[in-house]
Amino acid sequence: MDLGKKLVDAMEPHIMFTMNLFGHKIPVSDVVVVMWIIMAVMISLAFIFTRKLTEVPNKKQNVVEIIVEFINNIVKDAIGEHHWKVFAPYLGTIMLFLIFANTISIFNVIPGEGFKLRPPTRNINVTACLALMSMCVVIYAGIRYKKFSGWLKSFVEPIPLMLPFKILDYGIKPLSLALRLFGNTLGAFIVMELIYAVIPPVIPVALSLYFDLFDGILQAYVFMFLTSLYIQEVIE
Amino acid sequence: MTGAGLIAIAAAIAVFTGVGAGVGIGLATGKAVEGIARQPEADGKIRNVMLLGAVLAEATAIYGLVVALVLIFLKM
Repeated sequence: MDLGKKLVDAMEPHIMFTMNLFGHKIPVSDVVVVMWIIMAVMISLAFIFTRKLTEVPNKKQNVVEIIVEFINNIVKDAIGEHHWKVFAPYLGTIMLFLIFANTISIFNVIPGEGFKLRPPTRNINVTACLALMSMCVVIYAGIRYKKFSGWLKSFVEPIPLMLPFKILDYGIKPLSLALRLFGNTLGAFIVMELIYAVIPPVIPVALSLYFDLFDGILQAYVFMFLTSLYIQEVIE
Repeated sequence: MTGAGLIAIAAAIAVFTGVGAGVGIGLATGKAVEGIARQPEADGKIRNVMLLGAVLAEATAIYGLVVALVLIFLKM
């Protein structure tokens, strides 16, 4: 198989099995299966780490408290002292999920063909969904803290001439969120696949540190940071 | 020239947007380093603003990449 075919094969989602639900046939691709794996890992980790919480933290609890405090501090800095508590859980969940999703290809320990753990964010449908979710949270924040009339009024402030641009804003923001995450992950993924194909020993390890770990975590942070900025912009 | 060759050249021109993003991110980071060197206590705020600028500059490069990928994988 030549290199181009191999790349396209790695990029495209493969149908693994079809589910029967109320008479509809729903094809389930490996992207969805990888996301299920991430969810299972995250939920079980959450159960393990939050069992038997005590007033004085022990070893396990310290780890969780550091993570939660880190997320809380970022959200507090971005959104402000008053309203951060409502949005911290959502933003933290998104960031932890994206960290797992972007860096999952380093857990690819089984060699050979067949099922592989590849980042689900290389598929634009996943990132578009995440971006739409974030925009829903932004609109919810606007309606919650400004009332519906105040949120509608924010479209014509400071001058009514801004109306088309403000409407355009609600289309451009999710588009850029989705495309940024998708483009970054797919770009890093393609580069890593090319390196695996050309020079398999040693060198991929060093480059994987940058393309998988650093880039993945940075993009997760950027997604969360931009979402919190949009929220702050709306509730100001 | 064949159609595939023209599409390859079009994809190359689309990826050329990376030049602007590189210059932009370089400028943002350089100025941020200058700012932190002058006022080390304001590094948190400077880092956030720098990240925002770098991310917005990077978006253009990503759009170029996406357009190039669409050209190569959907049109070729």
